Amino acid sequence: MAEAPAGAHPAAAANGDAPYAVELRGITKRFPGVVANRDIELRVRRGEVHAIVGENGAGKSTLMKTLYGMHRPDEGTILLDGRETTLRSPADAIAAGIGMVHQHFMLADYFTVLESIVLGSEPTSGGRLDRAEARRRIREIFSRYALNLDPDVLVEDLGVGDRQRVEIAKVLYRGATTLILDEPTAVLVPQEVDELFGNLAELKREGLTVIFISHKLDEVRKVADSITVIRRGTTVGSADPRTTTARQLAEMMVGSELPSPQTRTSTVRETPVLELRGVTVASLTGRPAVDGATLTVREGEVVGIAGVEGNGQAELVDAIMGLRPLAGGTISLGGDDISAWSTRSRREAGVGFIPEDRHRQGMLLDAPLWENRILGHQTRPPAVKGVFIDRSGARTDTERIMREYDVRAPGVDALAVALSGGNQQKLIVGREMSSGPRLLIAAHPTRGVDVGAQAAIWELLKDARAEGMGILLISADLDELIGLSDTLQVMLRGRLVAELDPASLTPEELGGHMTGAHDGSGSAA
Amino acid sequence: MTKTAALLLAGGLALSACASDEDGGDSGSNGGNGGGDLKVGVAYDTGGRGDKSFNDSAIAGVEAAVQSLGGDVDEDIEELSPNEDDSNREELLTQLAEADFNPVIAVGFAYGDIIADIAADYPDTQFAIVDTSVEDLGVDNLTGLIFAEEQGSFLAGVAAASKSVTGHIGFVGGQQSPLIEKFEAGYVAGAEAVKPDIVVDVTYLSPAGDGSGFGDPEGGKVAAQGMYQAGADIVFHAAGGSGEGVFEAAVEAGQRAIGVDSDQYLSASPDQQGVIMTSMLKRVDLAVEDYLNSFADDSLESGTDILNDLSTEGVGLSESGGYIDDIQDVIADFRQQIIDGDVEVPTTP
Amino acid sequence: MTAVRRVGSALLAPAIAVVFAVVITALVILLIGENPSTALRVLFDFGDTPAQQTQSIVVILNRAVPLFLAGLAVSVAFRMGLFNIGVEGQYRMATVLAAGAGAAVALPAPLHVLLIIVVAMAVGALWASIVAILKVTRGVSEVISSIMLNFIALGIASWLLTGPLRGSEEGAAIITTEDLPESGRFPAINGLFDVVGLAQPRGELYGFLLVAIVVGIAIAVLLKRTRFGFDLRATGLSPSAATASGIDARGMVLKTMLISGAVAGLIGLPDLMGRTHHFGTEFTAGLGFLGIAVALLGRNSPVGIAFAALLFAFLDRAAVPLQFADIPASVVTIIQGTIVLAVVVANEIARQLTRRRAERDTGQGGPPAPESPSPNPTGTAGSRIDEPQGAGA
Repeated sequence: MAEAPAGAHPAAAANGDAPYAVELRGITKRFPGVVANRDIELRVRRGEVHAIVGENGAGKSTLMKTLYGMHRPDEGTILLDGRETTLRSPADAIAAGIGMVHQHFMLADYFTVLESIVLGSEPTSGGRLDRAEARRRIREIFSRYALNLDPDVLVEDLGVGDRQRVEIAKVLYRGATTLILDEPTAVLVPQEVDELFGNLAELKREGLTVIFISHKLDEVRKVADSITVIRRGTTVGSADPRTTTARQLAEMMVGSELPSPQTRTSTVRETPVLELRGVTVASLTGRPAVDGATLTVREGEVVGIAGVEGNGQAELVDAIMGLRPLAGGTISLGGDDISAWSTRSRREAGVGFIPEDRHRQGMLLDAPLWENRILGHQTRPPAVKGVFIDRSGARTDTERIMREYDVRAPGVDALAVALSGGNQQKLIVGREMSSGPRLLIAAHPTRGVDVGAQAAIWELLKDARAEGMGILLISADLDELIGLSDTLQVMLRGRLVAELDPASLTPEELGGHMTGAHDGSGSAA
Repeated sequence: MTKTAALLLAGGLALSACASDEDGGDSGSNGGNGGGDLKVGVAYDTGGRGDKSFNDSAIAGVEAAVQSLGGDVDEDIEELSPNEDDSNREELLTQLAEADFNPVIAVGFAYGDIIADIAADYPDTQFAIVDTSVEDLGVDNLTGLIFAEEQGSFLAGVAAASKSVTGHIGFVGGQQSPLIEKFEAGYVAGAEAVKPDIVVDVTYLSPAGDGSGFGDPEGGKVAAQGMYQAGADIVFHAAGGSGEGVFEAAVEAGQRAIGVDSDQYLSASPDQQGVIMTSMLKRVDLAVEDYLNSFADDSLESGTDILNDLSTEGVGLSESGGYIDDIQDVIADFRQQIIDGDVEVPTTP
Repeated sequence: MTAVRRVGSALLAPAIAVVFAVVITALVILLIGENPSTALRVLFDFGDTPAQQTQSIVVILNRAVPLFLAGLAVSVAFRMGLFNIGVEGQYRMATVLAAGAGAAVALPAPLHVLLIIVVAMAVGALWASIVAILKVTRGVSEVISSIMLNFIALGIASWLLTGPLRGSEEGAAIITTEDLPESGRFPAINGLFDVVGLAQPRGELYGFLLVAIVVGIAIAVLLKRTRFGFDLRATGLSPSAATASGIDARGMVLKTMLISGAVAGLIGLPDLMGRTHHFGTEFTAGLGFLGIAVALLGRNSPVGIAFAALLFAFLDRAAVPLQFADIPASVVTIIQGTIVLAVVVANEIARQLTRRRAERDTGQGGPPAPESPSPNPTGTAGSRIDEPQGAGA
């Protein structure tokens, strides 16, 4: 599907002259130094579920804040039911029938469902909370929209899905006819997602309008009646979920052909970079977390570790990085036994590390980017000079990383916390690459990043491999594993149970090995 | 909203500042025409006014003197308290001297470290210090108001030993300092003078250099409880505010306690009045009043100490409650022996 | 622009706190029936004569020096996430032993002064190292162990004072160590007033002020400019990220506590070497705890702590004149207490504002979605599992 300007949305014609529930024309919103939204065009029909998709940081949330009156656009107009409207505050938006269900719930634990819903718009009779009236209205909402909730349960006793329903009920209670749901599925497990979609169908049936913000394309295709795609702050087109594949949507979001993780030609050389011999890591529960792992990573080789999470991958990574003591076995890097080395010595000897949880292990969230450039490289130039920090060196090199790795941030003084997940991850990758490591430990390198950043990171890993870097890739994304790896190892209950050739492997087969269904039999290579 | 509040407040401050400027003059100038030339500066010990003990006793003496000399209690007395960590004691004394208060009275031996130097800097001002001997310092305008605490404590020991049924008594000191050890020494000596084989438990609530033992009722209570449980039936405290805890323990144990400094029976609750057998009086008020009177009538001999002991009634035992009426003759006998020098009371344990 | 903004947000929290504290205090003064404006005037009235005014400055500076050192000692540990409540015990131990050592030897003046400083720093560091060793070997919380060590320090210092190091004669009301000889005293720097053309004050300005400034600069450089300082701050910001980056967390705990303790060891020296010349029962206690407040107010930066110490000292100076104006000196304590309380709250508000601004600067919408590793491996890009597969096959 080609990009079409949103203004030429076929629905506009199809819907005849009925005004849109929500229409945005040429909305532009600037923040100091950056244009968050530019020429946004959005048309949402009454009674539909309209999805807005885009990468993290594409400007979806800014747009929704505009619509919810949390800030005013610098340019453009907002039309509600065909009337031009100015929203000065969320109160205005609520009065105009717009309700927002936030990604992070704003409920107090010690209130009941009923109290939570009426909080802020209590019906009073003579100054006192009119519980009977509130209860009647809430029951009516519950039954009309099939929200299965007990008004007298404490919020703290509710699960995530129920809490979300309370938020929805709260918005409905205030008379909203258009509901904005900001990444509503981010916090839900699959079953809860299905329940939510059921609720949305009820809302639609009752004639309400739902604006659904997401970047999960499969979900969007399942639930939405129409889709608007946002890229780099502006609407780039709309799509019909029935005729558009997730891949096409993703390409609209990224703005180019979506790369695949596949590596074409082998660049594997003879020299081993990393050799594990019988590496064993003890755990508190008795059975070793890593049990006699033996593997070799050669120059120019990507060795993938597949496995259901919690089978010892994290402990294996920790052991290689020196973050966890070995109970047995040896680890050598380029022929040197590094089993007893400190983490710092290992890093200095040429081990790069992309940790699984970047917030926990990869960044100082409250520190500026240039200081994050130094992290893990405190002993090496250009970040340091002798015992001193080389501020200008670190800043210059951070600028280089931001340029070369397309890290989108206002500058090197921005705090890491202000970056989107993808940009954070690109900064980490750039940092780890910058010291020219021999070995890269990449644990879930594209987890939690958007499609564009994922593609960029795959390219970087491929380039590094081509230059002769050895890479140990731990991932839960089977396509990523199969696409990038030269050799695959399957990890099950702390053991490396199978070595597979990714060239002749489907994700289904790999999945079988990961769960132990193919136990042992798969040692093909 | 907060901005408006801040503006209002700032405005209010400015207005009241203007208002106060008008009457600010005379309250600052400190008149000096009231009760002759007597303008007394008082630098308190830790705790300041309202400690129901030492400081209050001292200011009572000052006020009595100023009143009897025709002065104005509000105008002619300036009282200063040290800050929490006692780090500005020097400032208190110098500022009082700078502001022409004369005499300047330092309450408590804590001033002993510094008062000589300051007195030397202000030779035209008379200084007095409670609880510290200045005899050897050779500063002419400095007087030490000292007490024979061991003598009063001796009588407390006599009373305790005479009234004890179990032959077992206790002593709770605030801080293990030479001053409080005088109380202990006298008390033990007095008790042993009556019953040579008496058992005396001794506890200090804090070590030297840590004044917390004077403001720790909880610690005082625990210490006294331990003694009562071990069989003591009378506990004497020299622990300032911590004594409250000692009294509580006595009430709970149904035993007796002895107060210190002032007649603590008078300020106690009805419960505690039932257990406060007597108090070892240390008449700081009298000492200060006498000092001021002699200053006022030019009879002061400064540069030396004024000793307040049994003979001057500077120390003694209170009789409120009548608990020790039956042993008055024993006590009077020992008192006379001490005054006559027949009994020598030790000052260190 | 950004620099102005950074300074602005750095000052925001303390400024809010001070304003809040002034409001509260004004209300309290009103409640006890006195005039808040009088208190305000007294705070800023340094005296009538030039000598009185410079004397007020001396009082402020002399008080600020130990407060600054205390704040600095606390902040060094704070910066790496350690709560060194033990500063109190560390400086008590350091002061009593430095006083003992200084009185026991005879050396030429500069060496003698140096020896006392070195002894104090070493003792402070050693005492603090107990906390560190307990933490890295036994996992004992530094809060618990340092509180306990404060009590132990109190006992040991008292024993040393009344026993081996006793210098005052038997029966004296105040027990002290032997006085430092002239060569072990830190000369006053009243010459400074002549240099800048101010009147000579009545009292002496601690020469130790210079040492404090040097130590402050050294700590600032250490924290901001050195690798070690980076490691320390990184550990404070995120222990897990620091460990993953190759920082030896245990080593850092030990080194940081040694530095914190060494600085703590200096706290008692301005008084010891500049005024009392001995350790005694009238030793100024509690500075270690005040240091926590000063460090909080100064947001753990050496410059901030300097300002915080000066602010506290400025308020403390008013304790005496306030009483002359018939306002209880505890007003000062109320202001200080409220400032510290308010600063904790204000810091949090300012931090959130800074974060929000940082987020807005990058044009990102709401709070960054915590990229929690969801059990679903395709968590954020739902297309991944089926689509590329089809394309790539």
